[in-house]
Amino acid sequence: MIEVRQLSKTYETPGENIRVLTDLDLSVAAGETAAIIGPSGCGKSTLLNLLGALDRPSSGTIRIGDQDISTLSEEQAAAFRNHSLGFIFQQQHLLPQLTVLENVLVPRLAGDWQEPAAETEQRARQLLEKVGLAQRLDHLPWQLSGGEKLRTAVARALINRPKLILADEPTGSLDPASTDTVADLLLDLNRDQGVTLIVVTHNADLARRMGKTFELRAGKLHPLITDH
Amino acid sequence: MTARHFILRGLRHYRSAYLGVLLGSALGAMVLLGALFSGDSVKSTLRQIAEQRTGKTTVVLAGGENFFRASLSNSLPDTAPVLQLRSQVDTPSGRSTGQVNLFGITPDFWSFAPGMSDIPALDAKSWAINRELARTLDLAPGDSLVLRLGKPGLASRDAPLSGEPEELITVRGTVAQIREDDAMGRFNLEATQLPAPAVFLPIEALAEAIERSDRANLLLFRDPLSADQATALVRQSAQLADYGLSLQDIPLSAATEIRTDRIFLPTLIEEKLRTLLPTARPVVTYLANTIAANGKETPYSMVTGIDPAAVDFIPDDLGPDQILLNSWEAEDLAAKPGDKVTLSYYTLGSGNRLIEKSTDFTVHGIVSLEGAAADKLWMPEFPGIAEADSNADWTPGLPLDLTRIRPKDETYWDDHRGTPKAFIHYDTARTMWSNRWGNATSLRMPAGEADLERRILDTLTPADAGLLIRDLGRESQTAAASPVDIASLFLSMSFFLILAAVALTAMLFRFNVEQRNHESGLLAALGIPPRKILRWRLLEGLIVVTLGSALGSLLAFAYTRGLLLFLESIWNRGGDRLFNFHAAPASILGGLLGFITLMMITIWFVTRRQAKRSASLRLESGTEEITRQGKSRARWIAPVAALTGLAALAASKAMGPQGAFFLAGFSFLVAGLATFLAVLHRSRSSRSNSLSPARLATLNGARRPTRSLVVVGSLAAGLFLVVSVTAFQKHGGGEWQERASGSGGFAFWIETTTAVHRGSNSDSTEDILQLGDQRGQLGDILPFRVGTGDDASCFNLNSVARPRLLATDTAALEQRGSFTIKSTAPGIGKSWKSLREGEALRAFIDETTLLWVLKKKPGDRIDYTDEQGNSFPVEIAGTLDGTVFQGSFIVDEQRFLERFPSTGGYQLFLADTPGDLTATRGILQKSLTDLGATVTTTSDRLAAFHSVENTYISIFNVLGGLGVILGAAGLGLVTARNLAERRNEFTQLHQLGISRKIIRSLVFRETRQFILWAIGIGLVAAIVSILPALPKTGLLVTLGWIAALAALFLLTAASCAWLAYRRSALFAAS
Repeated sequence: MIEVRQLSKTYETPGENIRVLTDLDLSVAAGETAAIIGPSGCGKSTLLNLLGALDRPSSGTIRIGDQDISTLSEEQAAAFRNHSLGFIFQQQHLLPQLTVLENVLVPRLAGDWQEPAAETEQRARQLLEKVGLAQRLDHLPWQLSGGEKLRTAVARALINRPKLILADEPTGSLDPASTDTVADLLLDLNRDQGVTLIVVTHNADLARRMGKTFELRAGKLHPLITDH
Repeated sequence: MTARHFILRGLRHYRSAYLGVLLGSALGAMVLLGALFSGDSVKSTLRQIAEQRTGKTTVVLAGGENFFRASLSNSLPDTAPVLQLRSQVDTPSGRSTGQVNLFGITPDFWSFAPGMSDIPALDAKSWAINRELARTLDLAPGDSLVLRLGKPGLASRDAPLSGEPEELITVRGTVAQIREDDAMGRFNLEATQLPAPAVFLPIEALAEAIERSDRANLLLFRDPLSADQATALVRQSAQLADYGLSLQDIPLSAATEIRTDRIFLPTLIEEKLRTLLPTARPVVTYLANTIAANGKETPYSMVTGIDPAAVDFIPDDLGPDQILLNSWEAEDLAAKPGDKVTLSYYTLGSGNRLIEKSTDFTVHGIVSLEGAAADKLWMPEFPGIAEADSNADWTPGLPLDLTRIRPKDETYWDDHRGTPKAFIHYDTARTMWSNRWGNATSLRMPAGEADLERRILDTLTPADAGLLIRDLGRESQTAAASPVDIASLFLSMSFFLILAAVALTAMLFRFNVEQRNHESGLLAALGIPPRKILRWRLLEGLIVVTLGSALGSLLAFAYTRGLLLFLESIWNRGGDRLFNFHAAPASILGGLLGFITLMMITIWFVTRRQAKRSASLRLESGTEEITRQGKSRARWIAPVAALTGLAALAASKAMGPQGAFFLAGFSFLVAGLATFLAVLHRSRSSRSNSLSPARLATLNGARRPTRSLVVVGSLAAGLFLVVSVTAFQKHGGGEWQERASGSGGFAFWIETTTAVHRGSNSDSTEDILQLGDQRGQLGDILPFRVGTGDDASCFNLNSVARPRLLATDTAALEQRGSFTIKSTAPGIGKSWKSLREGEALRAFIDETTLLWVLKKKPGDRIDYTDEQGNSFPVEIAGTLDGTVFQGSFIVDEQRFLERFPSTGGYQLFLADTPGDLTATRGILQKSLTDLGATVTTTSDRLAAFHSVENTYISIFNVLGGLGVILGAAGLGLVTARNLAERRNEFTQLHQLGISRKIIRSLVFRETRQFILWAIGIGLVAAIVSILPALPKTGLLVTLGWIAALAALFLLTAASCAWLAYRRSALFAAS
């Protein structure tokens, strides 16, 4: 599913060039779950942005499925994200002007969805019901708790039936109880729908529940032996 | 959910953030549309006035001082004759006004009204007046009024033997009706938006009052005719009387004479008729002051010059220096053939002064006083002589000493009237007596010429007799296109304000975009193409900007009315509103579309970079501005812009001062702002080992360079505008005694309704205004002839192609050293003398008029039409510096008279005084009542011109002030925004133990650097741009003004920032 080879990312700054990732390799099979851990500033979010075609590598290749996403144009990258990826952010980034249901439907705005609008909306309702927000469809984000916001973001990440979900510190702002709930939800999705899941986290408990765990150190990924 | 739904939700959610964008758009659109609407209103008003001024008149036959038969109109369909004169009007209550148009009319005149018009019942004592006169003298129907006017002469009163100076006559009547503007009340040949006071009375009544029965000097045509067609029609119906000609049988000589009622046959007519009639011989009969011989003299005798071949009794061998005396004269002088005889006579010298000259002759022979030699018809009908009962009654308009007349002279007059006492050769007579009016008093030919009258009429054209065809309809339409394009003027005045509004609005829009960076990043992460996100943002912008612009267009209606009120303070003399509001659909649509496009381009420009950045960067950046890394382009923009500014100043002569000022100002502003940006960039990029509050303040200022740039730019542009324009404020007018000043050292500008002539019985060179005992109140008096053309001063909104010609004795100006000649055309000396040189008629004109009204430069030429209808060029020899002559060409009198010999007298005078201005003005006004004079001090006249320019400057200042307020508001907004966005930062600083006092000083330092940069950029740009044009006088006053403005500006900007801080202080404290 994911084949990353010799991936490097360097940021140019006025004083010096900062190399964040160096000849990084990563392989994740379809339907697998993986956690990436590491200290703050080690480049975890950078790696996730590269995997999600939100940023371009300085060198190396990223193959997702049968596509080398490092060579995609901006428009193609956008289309790729819209059709194949689901993103979950620590801050959720729900749009304050939209209701819960509308926030889930935002990816449809890309405009080239083949699915009829009514069907997508029906599915959005089902997804929200599944994440326990059936009673919150018309609420605005400020009316939701942190956990509810995250569950809305999860539903939004699933609306396009993605093969891959990239989650950046999904539980970073949640209490332990909510963290478990969200972890259960993500793993249920993986199990029920075969979605490949890559989670960047500081949370050791969440990392442990993933199939694979990698530590990002000195710009490279190091697989950790886990007991799960 | 659709994109439309998404956009509308965004608009609703961020409505408070968009309110600023909406208001900014409204302000920008209001200012822009206001400028366009003002232009539309002025144009529309001028068009309407032009229509009212000329009514349905297409072409006119205009005679001025040359009259034709009023009954000529009877044979020309759809025409109306008018006898137009100038008068003073008095009321029984003591009110009085001069320069009133008197229109002697027939009922046909009213049918020329632009709309339907009634025909008022007028008679010799019941007249109509127009609304302007009613307003000026507070007249109503039934009120009495008295006309005081000069009786026009048959010939120019300047011409020798043309009779006494204009006799003043008074005519009494009552107001029967007040004619409104659209009912011919505004009828006027002069291209002006100002209504001229007018009285309308039956043409017969006015003609009778001036003893010129069946005479008119204006014929209105209603049919759409070309000038050639109108000329052909007039020629078909004209009679000799229309050209001032008549045929006189001379039975005693078996001859016919072609005579003129203008004393001298116009040269052009004489030449044409001599070509037509080869047998015609010119005759000139003139008054000799003295014929002297053998120690004896005969006073005041007629002498005739004629070609000897034309008359039998004159020997063919009469030489050029020989004279033939009649027997009476030979006896009186005891003269015999071979004796020396001296003729003394008056001729006209420079400045129309009479000079007595003498010529010596030898007596060729004596002719007996009988037959043709005794014919009384030799003398034309000289006014003041022909109708006199005795010699003692002569009033020929020459200074005669009638005490010299002896009883025998009276007897001769009784018996022989003006029969010449001597005859000389025509060639000699021509040399002695020809003048600018002509060379002959008649043409004589043998009787019996077949069909003479018809042949003469077929030969002559109206223009030969000074009757000019004018396409009045077209002229008025052309004149209605104001030389000052108000729309462009206000647009250029509002340029910086519109820019400031656009920049500030775009900045507010960008605040919104920055605030929604997370949203944009999220949308990108969810696969919405960046172009689509940008499009949505722009669509939101378009909706807000369109709504704002629509609001602005509504506000523009009120704003335009405000601008028009400002303008009315210049051009309206009181009374009703001058300008009618008008907004052309093209202006509304074009202005709105233009403004919205400008806004959208700016919004696209400021948001596109933000939208282009990768989603990850935006998700992380929050509300921070995403800036370019690496070296700043501003570094090279600054020197290029500064060099452009300097080049513009260097080329100010070639590109015109106003263009140079704008380009230089704009360039220096850009240079200053680019420097500011480069400094921000450098401070952002530079590294330092120490952190002081000052460095932190600099870094904070550089954090959002676009915001900082917009704020400093708006403030600097506003300050630039206010300072630079204020420097052009006109002061002074009080230094009239200085001869180099705009008043030329003259205290008074005196305009008379009745023309004043030299050559009267008194010594007019010294007391031309006939002040008598009051003459001592004045020093030098310089008279001017007022020629053709319109007032092109800033008081006239109409487009003037040919400014009024003012002709004077330029030698007198040269001698006095009056006025400053600012520049001249290449090859022309900077002296009044140069006006007397050159092939073309040369003129000086005020630089302001040349630049703004005529839009020409020294060396250019403008075609005029002389009194014979011939086109001739007036060469603009040079410019004068801010004088009382604004709007007129100053030409040399002698050169002028070559083209306009018939111009009658002087109607404008400059005079200085050794006494008190106010007291002398009062005395003059009283003493010159009979002339219908208006006495103005030159200081007041200059101040009036300055007030027009200062009104423009005030408008500029108001707009510039709005720019400053807008910039200050921007500074306040940015301060508030920065404080709000940095709430956490301040809280953290506070938690770190940094006192609120230090935090406050940090914020003040940030704000202060903006204000100081703005003041620096605005002041430097303004001062450098205006440096070449800074007035030499009153420089300290100007610098004082600039310092005061800078202080005021500092206060305004600091107040706005303080207010913003006060509002946000709660955040900082929490």
